[in-house]
Amino acid sequence: MAKFLILARDTGVRRDMSPESMQAVIQRYRAWTENLQKAGRLSLANKLKDNEGRVLKRQGGKLAVTDGPFTESKEIVGGFWVVDAKTYDEVLEFTRDHPHLEVGTLEIRQFHDFPAK
Amino acid sequence: MTASPALVDHLFRHAAGQMVARIARILGPGHLDLAEEVVQDALLRALQTWPYGGVPDNPRGWLFQVARNRALDLIRRETNWRGLLDRTDLIETLTPQGVQDHGESVLDEELAMMFMCCHPALHPAARVPLTLKLVGGFSIEEIAGALLTRRTTIAQRLVRAKRQIRDEKIPLEIPSADALAERIDPVIEVLYLLFNEGYAAHGGENLTRADLCAEAIRLAKLLVQLPHPAFAPRLHALLALMLFQASRLPARVNDLGDLLLLSEQDRSRWDQGLIAEGFRHFDRALSGKEITSFHVEAAIGAYHAAGTDRAATDWPYLLRLYDDLLALKPTPIVALNRAIALAMVEGPEAGIRALEEIKAHEAFRDYYLLPAVLAGLEVRAGAMAVAARHYREALAMPCSAPERRFMRRELARLTDVKSPSARHW
Repeated sequence: MAKFLILARDTGVRRDMSPESMQAVIQRYRAWTENLQKAGRLSLANKLKDNEGRVLKRQGGKLAVTDGPFTESKEIVGGFWVVDAKTYDEVLEFTRDHPHLEVGTLEIRQFHDFPAK
Repeated sequence: MTASPALVDHLFRHAAGQMVARIARILGPGHLDLAEEVVQDALLRALQTWPYGGVPDNPRGWLFQVARNRALDLIRRETNWRGLLDRTDLIETLTPQGVQDHGESVLDEELAMMFMCCHPALHPAARVPLTLKLVGGFSIEEIAGALLTRRTTIAQRLVRAKRQIRDEKIPLEIPSADALAERIDPVIEVLYLLFNEGYAAHGGENLTRADLCAEAIRLAKLLVQLPHPAFAPRLHALLALMLFQASRLPARVNDLGDLLLLSEQDRSRWDQGLIAEGFRHFDRALSGKEITSFHVEAAIGAYHAAGTDRAATDWPYLLRLYDDLLALKPTPIVALNRAIALAMVEGPEAGIRALEEIKAHEAFRDYYLLPAVLAGLEVRAGAMAVAARHYREALAMPCSAPERRFMRRELARLTDVKSPSARHW
């Protein structure tokens, strides 16, 4: 079994959404996560905070620290899941009906399987 | 990771109303927009994090805390709100105490908000949307959809009403016992309108907008908890009649979404839980001396809800109830319903005569139901051509898609078949 990272880009959040529709969105993500948990395939899920962070860069021997990244909303990583699966195809099976696809894109990347030391 | 708890239905919507009510009570009715803004921020924060981190164990507590912190943050940071700095101590005490995730909970603040939204000084057309927005947690979009009104119109009414509340210092409180007598009726009227708007659905694709009915019932349940026994019978009667009507919602349309008449409905699909609840409130409605139009309407609802065999319907009894109702509430719509009962007792011609008398009334100018009922009665009287003319007239008026399909079906039956079977209302 290998580990895969699923990255959710663009959160699809609009400021004027109604409470009812916000709850509906949360319910759909929750149902998706629960299915994966039941199958014993989910090892981690979390969210990176929006509109903050630090970017470090060495410039002429000096360390430059800036606030950011402030990327376009389409590029924002809303959150991520780490799942256990055999192949990309199997992860695709999990994600085919993912609620995030209604508002944004998903990116799937496999972890390198480094041998244990 | 463990599975997160499921959210109670409509938790966000109801929590939104409760949070706005509590925060606005502290900030004052002049700052409704600020209260709404911090509540929306809290809900958005949940939307941005719960899909990944899971739903917290106490979702309502989480939302209250985030809304509270957001309010403190804005007031301390932004010069606009400096005037509210003396309220921060009160805001810090804000918790969802008294609000439960299950069962009915009532907050004084919610009742106060209902009275404010239904204040007689406000334009009647603003009261329903304002109640849906501030107490019900509906968005402008949802209100526009439910009331079949343009989004911009609803938005304008809300802005004007809020400005008026601020300028005229309309209080956010439950009226004193003395004032309650004249303040309760506008609230009742809003709930009644809300329910009928949901139940009758004069346009759109769905016959009922069940959310409106459910919200009217929820608010009526809040209102019956007002500790003023003088109004209790009226409020219980209102609630009973809503519950009886709502019990039939699941049976009103068939699987294709087509309208079914009372006589065609599968009674096993009536919601027995709602009927039982309706009878409990009906009993309490009869505890006082007062008999209101709601009592009579509830009695009509109770009669239908209790009956299992349509053939045995006691139409003379129902006609007497409609006579009582017409005396208490002499409106054209009640007269229309009475004419239907009259036709069942004295025959279709009597019903037709009663309808012809009220037909010219302003209220029926665009109301499909009058020609539709006339058509049904003409069919029973054997005047198929006249019936077809009435259906065509009704089809030219606004009505919901299921109602339209129903009338087309009837019209097709009249024009295609030589001797259609008699149909009963």
